[in-house]
Amino acid sequence: MAIQEVRVRTTPYLEDIKGKYLLREIQNTLHINGITGLVTAKVYRLEGISVQQAEFLARRLLAEEVFQNYTVNETIIKDADKLVEVAYKPGVMNPEAGSILKAAADLGITEMVAADSSYEYGFYGNLTDTDTELILSRLLVNETVEKVVTEKPATLIIQGQPGGTRVIPIRNMDDAALLELSKDNLFLSLEEMQAIRNYFINLDRDSTDCEIETLAQTWSEHCGHKTFKATVLVNGQAKKPLYQRLRESTNQAAHPLVLSAFEDDSGVMHFYDGLALCGKVETHNSPSAIEPYGGAMTGSGGVFRDIMGTGTGAKVIASTDMFCFAPPDLPDDEVPPGCLHPHYLLRRVVDGVRDYGNRMGIPTNNGSVHFHRDFKAKPSVIVGAYGLIPAADAGKRRPVTGDLAVAIGGRTGRDGIHGATFSSGEMTSRTMDVNSSAVQIGHAIEEKRMSDALLRAREEKLIRAITDCGAGGFASAFGEMGEDTGVRIYLDRAPLKYQGLAPWEIWVSESQERMGLAVPPEHMERLEAICREHNVEVTVIGEFTDTGKLELFYHDELVGELTMEFLHHGLPKRVMRAVPQERPVQMIEPDYPRDWEHACIQVMQHLNVCSKEPIVRMYDHGVQGSSALPPFAGEAGNAPNDAVIIAPVPGKKYGAVIAHGLNPVLNAIDPYAGSIWAATEAVANAVASGANPDELMLIDNFIWPYPDEASMYDLDRAVDACVDFVRATGMPFISGKDSLSSTYRAPDGSVLKIPPVLCISCFGRIPDVTQTVSTDFKQTGSVIVLVGQREVQQMSGSSYFDITGAASPHVPVIDPDRLITTLRCLYQANRSGKVLACHDISEGGLLAALAEMCLGGGVGASIEVPAGERADYYLFNETAGCFLVELDDLTQAVELFMDVPYSILGKTTAEPNISVTQDNNSLFNIATAKLFAAWQKPMQEVFGGC
Amino acid sequence: MLNTSQVKPRVCILRTDGTNCDQETAYAFNKTGGESHLVHVNQLRSGAEKLSDYQILAVPGGFSYGDDIHSGKVLSVELASFLNDQLRRFVDDGKLVLGICNGFQVLVRTGLLPWGELGTIQATLMENDSGHFECRWTNLLVEQNNCVFTQGMAGTVIQYQVAHGEGKFYTDEVTLEKIEQSGQVVFRYASTTSGQATQDYPQNPNGSLHAIAGICDKTGRVLGLMPHPERFVETFHHPNWRRVQLGEPHGLPLFRNAVAYAAQTGAGC
Repeated sequence: MAIQEVRVRTTPYLEDIKGKYLLREIQNTLHINGITGLVTAKVYRLEGISVQQAEFLARRLLAEEVFQNYTVNETIIKDADKLVEVAYKPGVMNPEAGSILKAAADLGITEMVAADSSYEYGFYGNLTDTDTELILSRLLVNETVEKVVTEKPATLIIQGQPGGTRVIPIRNMDDAALLELSKDNLFLSLEEMQAIRNYFINLDRDSTDCEIETLAQTWSEHCGHKTFKATVLVNGQAKKPLYQRLRESTNQAAHPLVLSAFEDDSGVMHFYDGLALCGKVETHNSPSAIEPYGGAMTGSGGVFRDIMGTGTGAKVIASTDMFCFAPPDLPDDEVPPGCLHPHYLLRRVVDGVRDYGNRMGIPTNNGSVHFHRDFKAKPSVIVGAYGLIPAADAGKRRPVTGDLAVAIGGRTGRDGIHGATFSSGEMTSRTMDVNSSAVQIGHAIEEKRMSDALLRAREEKLIRAITDCGAGGFASAFGEMGEDTGVRIYLDRAPLKYQGLAPWEIWVSESQERMGLAVPPEHMERLEAICREHNVEVTVIGEFTDTGKLELFYHDELVGELTMEFLHHGLPKRVMRAVPQERPVQMIEPDYPRDWEHACIQVMQHLNVCSKEPIVRMYDHGVQGSSALPPFAGEAGNAPNDAVIIAPVPGKKYGAVIAHGLNPVLNAIDPYAGSIWAATEAVANAVASGANPDELMLIDNFIWPYPDEASMYDLDRAVDACVDFVRATGMPFISGKDSLSSTYRAPDGSVLKIPPVLCISCFGRIPDVTQTVSTDFKQTGSVIVLVGQREVQQMSGSSYFDITGAASPHVPVIDPDRLITTLRCLYQANRSGKVLACHDISEGGLLAALAEMCLGGGVGASIEVPAGERADYYLFNETAGCFLVELDDLTQAVELFMDVPYSILGKTTAEPNISVTQDNNSLFNIATAKLFAAWQKPMQEVFGGC
Repeated sequence: MLNTSQVKPRVCILRTDGTNCDQETAYAFNKTGGESHLVHVNQLRSGAEKLSDYQILAVPGGFSYGDDIHSGKVLSVELASFLNDQLRRFVDDGKLVLGICNGFQVLVRTGLLPWGELGTIQATLMENDSGHFECRWTNLLVEQNNCVFTQGMAGTVIQYQVAHGEGKFYTDEVTLEKIEQSGQVVFRYASTTSGQATQDYPQNPNGSLHAIAGICDKTGRVLGLMPHPERFVETFHHPNWRRVQLGEPHGLPLFRNAVAYAAQTGAGC
């Protein structure tokens, strides 16, 4: 059918904003300076309508005369020296297409059968072919999902004949053939492949592709957590599986507020008024490494669905994001083959989180970004979500025989096939080519309307059980739900984005924005009505049975049949060996600073210390009208707080607190100490803001290199740290996730281990959000108190040691038993109303914390370093669990903190300087403005000013 | 005439795919004496709900239909195509219409603002000059005019949060002059120091002409604004409630004025 093309651009006498910033980026990041101008246009392709209809739509829908021009079937950027159009590849869902069709229909044009939109870039000036290539590859085209349009497509409709079901002659495969089958697709070990072969030998038949794929999904590291469930042999000594140890520590803590731990799509704690809070944190490293925008979006979308899939469905009330990247100024030649530049990755991941969270209407209000060169092969992208649900609707639900198996939300396409298995594999230089189908572009609005419909359905008690179709798609959702009963699925009934999918593809596709439901038949009609009202597609694709089997049909053909017993319990149990790795102990002490100003500025502008405000400003952190402590505040709105506090129930003063901690640098040096640090940092952030340490829950995310013996040892130590932390503090882990594929294999076979990350998130409840504390100094003449235990020579892993090239075996050692005493004491102090401001010490040390408090308060500070302490260590030590507290007067310090380690640091001043003395000598006196400028500079350079 | 002490004005909080500030907007109206109902546009299209049963229509913030094509565009087309008569009657009956953020974009793109001419687009909200989404608190100077929603607030500088990527108010010079002349500008982004209208980023977060953050129609009964008054209806909503005394949360008077006006006039019911 004919395609009409409508092109729209900003009227030439107005500034083309998109073009302006793109040009700036070309100049700043690619250093291409021959381009004198850049104009952009949007291209709409509309299939099945006439030229006149296209003209009508251009006028009424696509272009606005007030500020735009349009053309129909004609170029619009006519005089450019070079014109390039970039579009999504066929099969990559363009979320805008559906809106174009809908709006055209609303305007009376119903003949349109397909639509697409893309962007055209007109370059002016001197542009070489090399320049063009660089601009396209680095800024405009991600070949995984996008392409340069060289000719007008003949049709926008994706055609295809559905593939059939293949029989895989697995019974006759030798080990080499099994491994070949597994490689690049299934990511299963030989032992696992052998178990599958034996299963089918016993059945006396070969397997279908559906069956093999189902097993590969369910048994993937991503879904099956094989390493965490394995027995660990540490130096030959058997230890309990990691997962079991974490769960047992939670059970032993017996925290009265825990409602559901490690059993549902998220962890759940009691809130107030019969409500419950839930939390889940996920990683999305592998997809984000190859398509950062789509990968981050689907990461957010997935973790939101984990909340939506908790109990009979929770409402998402907050979102968090924690990233680890290589430095954005990494030289191009250091980017490993097959990997994307961190500058591009960082910005596109932020864009993805922004576009998904903002459109879903979920405040993204807590997060952090960490940098280390060794993330150059693969970033760590961690996204969290928190939700609210009536306590009575929480807790894991199971389908009942006779319930309908229902798919809700988006349609199924070929996108996202093999995401779960892919996420479980190592990244190699081939990853981008082989696994490009594993990524897709998220459609936040699809998920938002599904969420609206599901919350209504939950209120009307229509849902028996619900789960996310995340990794593994229908296979993992229905395979898991039907574990106790059995389930029969008719794959041909699943609504598809386009024809041409083989049955196994329908079954394992990870197309986003879908969930699986178990619905009692008598509720189906009402559920359908609710979905209709919300423009949500809902389809019965099977039923829960009493056979104890997974049965897959395509039309009338049985294309897969596995016992639930084998599917869920047939996975050979692993034994993981752990052997400590020698870590050469270096000791390079830095020279005592001669130029204090230089040292302070270097620390403040260290990437792990600097302000991340430009990122936060792009996230809607105020939507839902719940904010009680925002990520940034203070006099000029640019000083960071430690945690976020929201009051999610309108009209109620009780609230939820959310915080997190991670330190990949320390984790790489000392996995145990780094893990304690991460947990301490998380809860210190929460308690500094006014949380009660006895009402906090923890979530773990282990992002680790592939567990060879050395990494397994480190992982074991990290889990030991978590367990010890729980034992000492009583704060339980109630949810967690592991991703053990932070390893990169280069074409030459060399291996790069990405720094291990343990991200600890914490959340809790607060009876009254008006009894909480921000970090900004409130007045001049206040007393500044340092609270908490630290040994300042424990400098290893600090930003200061990084900039001075120093090294030391002495990492910050935190005693969790002493920590909990300090935290309880600080909580009481915060509740007393006497604490004017409180900030925890983390990256950048005491000086950075002090500077941030001054920035928020628009004041200065005068402090004294105790005699005998090495002043640079005192100022830059990064031991977590220590706090700066602002009080009215000295007597309050004794009264509030007599039971814990504390010292008087100094006072706030009207002069906007930080002045530091020791032994009555001035060490330095630096204008706070200089520190702020340094602190704000790095991210402003990446994202622009704010 | 209704007894205003007994009957709460009914507020239609219009929802569709991608609406996401509906619940807090409903709460703001309820807190100030209204009775909010969340109404999906499909319910209006099907006739299950009628605009005439309400005294106030609020189009809340969000990303209606993903803000595809232009922000608020697809919903504007839908309203102008299917609810044209209902909307026109609603406004003609002297009832109130409030568009916040995405809702403002919708009101402009339906033509209800600035001139109340459904189907005729006279102004627009363009991409921010910064080139990206901005979420930050802004100072707003409230202008003196006949806007029902801001009675008693004129001359004050208040603080609301903005959160948008396309909020630059733009129109041709003639229209802009006309809007100014007829006193339809309600809010302007103001400098933190002088309290006067400003073009400086980030106090003016998007580069709006004449620092315009919100306008009303000539009757003063249809208001659209980019900032979010519903995000400041509790003291603790403000980022700096711990360091400054701000008095009553600045969003409350806007909603209270609307509810009080609707209760007094009892228009159409």
